[in-house]
Amino acid sequence: MIDLIRNSYRYRELIWALALKELKIRYKRSVLGFMWALLNPALLMLVLTLVFSSIMRFPIPHYAIFLLSVLLPWTFFAQSLSYAVESIVTNGDLIKKIAVPKLVFPMAALISNLINLLLSLIPLAILVPLLRHPFYWTWVYLPVPLLALAIFTLGMTFFFAVANVFYRDVAHILQIVLSAWFYLTPIIYPLDLMPAKYHWLFKLNPLIYVINGFRLSVYYGQLPRAQSILASFVCGFISLLIGFSIFRRYQDSFVFYV
Amino acid sequence: MSSTSNSPAFGRAPIIRLQKVTQRFRVIQERPDTLRELFSKLFRGQTSYHDFEAVRNVSFEVPAGQMMGIIGRNGSGKSTLLKIIAGVYRPTNGVVQVNGSIAPLIELGAGFHHELTGRENILLNGLLMGYSKRDMLERQQRIIEFADIGDFIDAPVKQYSSGMYMRLAFAVATEVDPKILLVDEILAVGDAGFREKCFERIRKFRAAGKTILFVSHSMTDVQEHCERVLLLDQGSILIDGRPEEAITLYKSLLTPELVATQ
Repeated sequence: MIDLIRNSYRYRELIWALALKELKIRYKRSVLGFMWALLNPALLMLVLTLVFSSIMRFPIPHYAIFLLSVLLPWTFFAQSLSYAVESIVTNGDLIKKIAVPKLVFPMAALISNLINLLLSLIPLAILVPLLRHPFYWTWVYLPVPLLALAIFTLGMTFFFAVANVFYRDVAHILQIVLSAWFYLTPIIYPLDLMPAKYHWLFKLNPLIYVINGFRLSVYYGQLPRAQSILASFVCGFISLLIGFSIFRRYQDSFVFYV
Repeated sequence: MSSTSNSPAFGRAPIIRLQKVTQRFRVIQERPDTLRELFSKLFRGQTSYHDFEAVRNVSFEVPAGQMMGIIGRNGSGKSTLLKIIAGVYRPTNGVVQVNGSIAPLIELGAGFHHELTGRENILLNGLLMGYSKRDMLERQQRIIEFADIGDFIDAPVKQYSSGMYMRLAFAVATEVDPKILLVDEILAVGDAGFREKCFERIRKFRAAGKTILFVSHSMTDVQEHCERVLLLDQGSILIDGRPEEAITLYKSLLTPELVATQ
């Protein structure tokens, strides 16, 4: 773990440059360029708001905010994994030619998506007053679930990046896992909608605690309970510990398989 | 033949030391690339592979400031050896010690991204080689001057001609002031003018006391620049000594029948 911190600090400039490169390339050749990082979530929000305020009406007031408060962090999670799973394989040419620390690739995938997430919070912050939803002071709490989510996601990215080096099916399996995970997590629905006797099942989902933090602070204007915060970090560190140990163990053999 | 006692630079402290280094590659016939293949292989209970030693029990030391040539036929392990020294491969067996920063000119422009401009690539490539952003920004101007590609520096490198690409890559790799330079058969490309510029730079590096490992198929270049030559064959060192001996033996490997008639 110390190894991870030391290396990410040592290669911080490289990680940052690779993350920016990823963003640059994503938005290159588009007329609006980097603006898409803001526009994309804004347009998505517009669509969701229209759909849920006029076409499909849920018994949840300001459903768009309810949904977006956790959909944006989920998108970060899913996108980071989708990018990172291929990160070692797509940089295979580089790994075969330059002695480069391998951990920079999944980390760069995470950072570039984290930048995207932070940018997408801006249109959300604009949308909240527009829909006449109260703008709660609990927004200042957001860095806490953001950190817990980033830690959890990083561990997962390490794991999937390694697995995909050895078995390329992993990238495909990941997409299935993610879509199942999406519906099993209370993102489009509140947990209360589920019968209480099944709640313990949902609580096995490591993402539920951190997701809860986002929704409470943005939509309900409340702070999560201490156990919930603790649980989100415990899940995060377990994921990171497992993910990074596997990554470290196999990183020297990547060069033979990419 | 693998001792360095016959090298002219005997007595100087080694900057690179390899002890009994072996690099084994597992060549798996129809490696299970997907889970389906893995399962079918498991059930049939067979994985066919053979081990192949690209570098076999190689030991040598390079004293600081020496220019050593590495020659051998295709597939003799020259590039693998350089990649082991560069840290791309961790050898299967043996110890590798390198005391100093390395500029690997193994495959020039390996770290370049086609969508980024020359200027952006200078920074990214430098960071990939382990230099800091400050280092690279300080040297950026000199790199651009050496590469000499004019306004193209702010165009994406995918628009470059291969010569321009090479020039920029060579400039980045050599302007960063490494202690050790690994040169792998890169000077074969590029026009005469650029080649001359590169060799001029190599001479400057030598004058500055830097260590250079030089892989080449051009015996003229090896003869002219190297004070010591390693001849590899099938992953092992055949000879480690003066350029003349090594080159003679190398030529006899290439055309044994020709030597026989001489």
